[in-house]
Amino acid sequence: MAKASAGLLLMGAATALTAGCIPLQVQAPDRPIEINLNVNIRHEVIVRLDDEARDLLNDNPDLFGDPR
Amino acid sequence: MTRNMKLILGAIALAGALAAAPALAQDSAISQARAAGVIGEQADGYIGVRPGQTASADLRARVDQLNIRRRAEYTTRAERNNATPNEMAASIVCVLFRERLREGEYYRDEAGQWREVTASAPAAVPSWCPAS
Repeated sequence: MAKASAGLLLMGAATALTAGCIPLQVQAPDRPIEINLNVNIRHEVIVRLDDEARDLLNDNPDLFGDPR
Repeated sequence: MTRNMKLILGAIALAGALAAAPALAQDSAISQARAAGVIGEQADGYIGVRPGQTASADLRARVDQLNIRRRAEYTTRAERNNATPNEMAASIVCVLFRERLREGEYYRDEAGQWREVTASAPAAVPSWCPAS
């Protein structure tokens, strides 16, 4: 019984190790691409935040004044 | 005794109402200074005092307080949207400059220059803003 669980543990560890290798290989080529994207991300974020910006302005007349 | 209690309770309620009132609309000291061109909106999403203008210590303290509260709002809203406080501030500026600035008010543009909003020259929206 004890031997069987030890075997299972080993198999589990082996699977985890093999599985662990796969994302490492995928991640490696991704890194240089991320750096290039940084320039564009900002503009996209501003576009994405437009609704939140309007909510923030409308919810806080004490901070931003009343609409014109 | 009961009459005194009522008076005290009334006074407390009145004090509370007076304290809560400024939170509903913008501080009149701030809006007056803005209309007079002493302070203005900046492209960084905060309010600033224009150089060469006389601003009392009280006004400067109010400006600082307002900016601290803006910073807190930018931070919480940015976190909710997976963005940075600066990005939240930058997107506020796009709406603020385009829709909120009134004629005669001053604003500090992207390059750091203070400019007046006039009928012929509306506020110059920063380059990071999407085309409207």
